[in-house]
Amino acid sequence: MADRITDDELTEGVARRPRRRSLRLGMLRPAAMAVIAFSAFFAVWEFASGQLISPFLLPPPSKVAQTAVPMLESGEILRHASISLWRVFVGFTLGSLVAIVLGVIMGRLRLVNELADPVIEFLRYLSPTAMIPIAVIWFGIGEASKYFLIFWGTVFFVLINTIAGVMRTPVPRQRAAQCLGASRLQIFLTVVIPSSVPFIVTGMRVAMASSFMSIIPAEMLAANSGIGYLLQASAIMVQTDRIFVALATISALGFATDRLFRFACDRLLHRYMAWSGSN
Amino acid sequence: MLTIDSVTKIFGEPATGYRALKDVSIEVPEGEFLCLLGPSGCGKTTLMNIMAGFEGINGGRVLLHGRPVTGPGRDRMMFFQDAGSALFPWQTVEENVQYGLKLQRIPAAERRRRVDFNLSMVGLDEHRRKFPAQLSGGMRQRLQIARGLAVDPDILLMDEPFGALDAMSKRRMQGFLLDIWQRTGKTIVFVTHDIAEAILLADRIAVMSVGPDSRFRDIVTIEIPRPRDPSSPGFGEVYAQIERLLGHDLDRHEG
Ligand SMILES: Nc1ncnc2c1ncn2[C@@H]1O[C@H](COP(=O)(O)OP(=O)(O)OP(=O)(O)O)[C@@H](O)[C@H]1O
Ligand SMILES: [Mg+2]
Repeated sequence: MADRITDDELTEGVARRPRRRSLRLGMLRPAAMAVIAFSAFFAVWEFASGQLISPFLLPPPSKVAQTAVPMLESGEILRHASISLWRVFVGFTLGSLVAIVLGVIMGRLRLVNELADPVIEFLRYLSPTAMIPIAVIWFGIGEASKYFLIFWGTVFFVLINTIAGVMRTPVPRQRAAQCLGASRLQIFLTVVIPSSVPFIVTGMRVAMASSFMSIIPAEMLAANSGIGYLLQASAIMVQTDRIFVALATISALGFATDRLFRFACDRLLHRYMAWSGSN
Repeated sequence: MLTIDSVTKIFGEPATGYRALKDVSIEVPEGEFLCLLGPSGCGKTTLMNIMAGFEGINGGRVLLHGRPVTGPGRDRMMFFQDAGSALFPWQTVEENVQYGLKLQRIPAAERRRRVDFNLSMVGLDEHRRKFPAQLSGGMRQRLQIARGLAVDPDILLMDEPFGALDAMSKRRMQGFLLDIWQRTGKTIVFVTHDIAEAILLADRIAVMSVGPDSRFRDIVTIEIPRPRDPSSPGFGEVYAQIERLLGHDLDRHEG
């Protein structure tokens, strides 16, 4: 954060400094709120378990932490988590790439869009979970079926958003480029695609969240590794404390990847994103 | 010289569609400041789009320097009312102005010279590293003007460029546009439905009638010497004359 501010000072002049400062102070408030909220949440949970609900059904946070420590030390959590993460990464990346390429073409070519749209409208209701049985038959219980399911979950979100972004590129912007001498291809590459970036990123964020939701059932039903598998194996042994460790891991992973993705977008696509809110 | 020769425009099927323009004719000589004035929906934007080459026509001819217009070109630059949506928000002020120059593969040194020249002409050289979202409405409009002027078009087509500005910025922008026009000698076609704005700016005002089958009700030459003072009696007389021309349509509109 610190080098970011000096950066801005160089380009924007010192006039922005006071605003930046208050902005940073303002950011402390949500952080403080989060700490308070989580403390309260864990306190209520700790109290409820034992007093209101059997600690076997709802193990207190202290018990979950006790269970988690050896699992962390032995590398068990890390191994399952990294396997799940890798599956999400592969499926998500493939799905996004395919969707972006298809989407910019479909948004631009009316006939292709008209032909593909009804099919997409129909297929998008098939959630990755619904596709698990057929994925196992097609790809077996190995890695390919998981890649496919994440891919399936990603592709529609990103595709629909990409098409919307391309189609909503303001006509005046395209016409202005035309007057400035741009060819159709140049308009597509230098106006339409940059204009669609905020839409594409939104689609990818939604897809990322859904990927984390669909990897779990996929691993529960058809895998012998990954967080979903850990969850399922603990359930079969009725080890509720281990179930809660797995659940906490899923939350942490989803949250961390979303923040990382947002951070990367802010850094890399800053110019394309900054205006999307105000315009 | 831009020639509009009995142009007819129908939206939709020729037999059943909306007949927006019917036999519209005007010749715009080099260096003229022409205003198109008329009630909402009379076809001003449509006529501008035809001149720019964005829209086809159903009859008549559009000639630029004697050659038929078949599509948009760098010789005619359209300026949109909503500068925010016409600019490239991911590019800085400077990069926006460079866009057209880069397409022409103009060497970097010459590009820099033209960017500097046009940015200082519109008074944005202090803001060259800002993004459009960091500019005021009037500054965005000036940026759009600088970006268009950088590719050195013959004709500026401006569709209510100051329509969204407050009265004071509008005043300033009008003075500023007259200044640029006098310095560059460009031909300007300027759409407005503000009578005073048209009288302040134009060599001639083409007053349009409401559609369908809209056409020029009259073309009024403004003889008042520049700079023009809106509070002068001469100004008031022209104002009344144009109001009378529009009056017929205004009654019909509100009735
Ligand atoms: N694409 C279109 N399809 C059908 N009708 C259209 C289309 N574009 C414009 N029209 C019609 O043509 C007429 C003229 O429209 P135009 O936008 O040129 O008006 P205008 O004079 O610019 O109005 P305003 O002052 O409100 O901008 C209107 O009646 C409008 O409904
Ligand atoms: Mg209009």
